[in-house]
Amino acid sequence: CSRLHNRPTISPTLLLSNMYHRPDMITPGVDAQGQQIDPQKIQEHFEDFYEDIFEELSKFGEIESLNVCDNLADHMIGNVYVQFREEDQAAAAVKALQGRFYSGRPIIVDFSPVTDFREATCR
Amino acid sequence: PSKSKRVSGFDMAPPGAPPLPVAADAGQLPGIPQPLTGIL
Repeated sequence: CSRLHNRPTISPTLLLSNMYHRPDMITPGVDAQGQQIDPQKIQEHFEDFYEDIFEELSKFGEIESLNVCDNLADHMIGNVYVQFREEDQAAAAVKALQGRFYSGRPIIVDFSPVTDFREATCR
Repeated sequence: PSKSKRVSGFDMAPPGAPPLPVAADAGQLPGIPQPLTGIL
């Protein structure tokens, strides 16, 4: 959300800010060139992305959960939350991901205080 | 099962082409609705 949240110095959970970009993010169902996109293509695009992330992050440790926000509102748009089993696995991932690119965009990675996604609401 | 489809987007540096429009990064303004042709 737009509020400032505390960023823990260590956590098993990471936040990759604004990492997922929907192909139809400007206008729902329509690509940047104004062409209609098959909803199935959007789904495939999402699944490819999810798989990429999962494969890459699995190198650093066991993933407990992986959440991708594919909403179109500006709130949390494209944010990816990944929870590792251990904090040091998350720390290794942060170290390894910083300064790298994904699909032409820099990866913005930080620890996140979230440890239970069912309870993850802004208070 | 063959699992050789596409390359991962990791480490794909920005191309020389211009990046996404600024509005896209802000994640707002869904733009102008598509006109409905043939309906009055």
